[in-house]
Amino acid sequence: MANRVNIPTNNSALIAMIADEDTVVGFLLAGVGNVDLRRKTNYLIVDSKTTVKQIEEAFKEFTTRSDIAVVLISQYVANMVRFLVDSYNKPIPAILEIPSKNHPYDPAHDSILSRVKHLFSTESVASRH
Amino acid sequence: MEVVDHKTHNLENGQAAEEEEEEEVDENANVLQFMDSMDAYLTLIHSLSSNLRQGWLELASARHSMGAYRVNTVLLDHTSHSAATSLLVDEGKEPHFTLCKWGSSGNEKLFLGEEQSSRDKSHPQIRHRGATQLSEEKTTSENKASCEIDDPVQKERSKSLSVFGTLVSPKLRDAQLSFETALETLVEIANRRSEMICAFDKVNKKSGGSKD
Repeated sequence: MANRVNIPTNNSALIAMIADEDTVVGFLLAGVGNVDLRRKTNYLIVDSKTTVKQIEEAFKEFTTRSDIAVVLISQYVANMVRFLVDSYNKPIPAILEIPSKNHPYDPAHDSILSRVKHLFSTESVASRH
Repeated sequence: MEVVDHKTHNLENGQAAEEEEEEEVDENANVLQFMDSMDAYLTLIHSLSSNLRQGWLELASARHSMGAYRVNTVLLDHTSHSAATSLLVDEGKEPHFTLCKWGSSGNEKLFLGEEQSSRDKSHPQIRHRGATQLSEEKTTSENKASCEIDDPVQKERSKSLSVFGTLVSPKLRDAQLSFETALETLVEIANRRSEMICAFDKVNKKSGGSKD
């Protein structure tokens, strides 16, 4: 895979969103919405008609864009593309799993916490002694 | 000769023990840093859930009072425009994110000034008896300065709200503030995430080395 272009340290970067309508609307009210000259947005509103493929494409697009520093993704949406989210391990953009109205946050599914949980498993403790 | 060898051996053992002790101290420090970062991460996630719940409730109230057709994604602006709120990224071994609300990076004073004005609103200054004229003048000039700084922020906020019409429900404004707070929490979460990953890598490296 080609190396993505680093975000220059003195430039501003965007926050991307892959979430339900209310979450996206709320954050757009907070001013994070961006539409470029090609009418590409930095958000994807996920509803009942959104396919897994669309979510995958949005995730891949946002994680390869050089102007995005953080990707917010509702955890229930992240669960639909869990293999993609868990296999992502670059520091930027940071992938943050957030709760949604109907799906509270579950730390057991968080990709970062899953990555580090083996430090606390009984197997890892037994192997050190 | 045997005594010299014994002393040399003891010295080497002592140095090795010191190094081992230093490594253990470093390892403990890394583990503590990792645990602290994880604790902060989980606490912030909990806080974020509260902020978002508040925001969703206010949005639902706004939708109820304004009508569902007025608080709708169909009304979103799809013409080319830049984000008013963005991030400054300090890339390095441990990336650091800074939120820039309602302005470019040149408006850092705006960002800090807004914090001051919001603090002033939440903790109104108490007038003490016998306050000097000097302190009153200072308060007046500070308020004037914070009002001047607030104007561009309020303009940006209004611009964002105007997508949903000229007259909007106060609940929509409240929702906007809640989501702004949620954004601040999210940036903190992103920074704690960076710390956690960095600390985890250090701990992993050490434990991988010790297993070998």
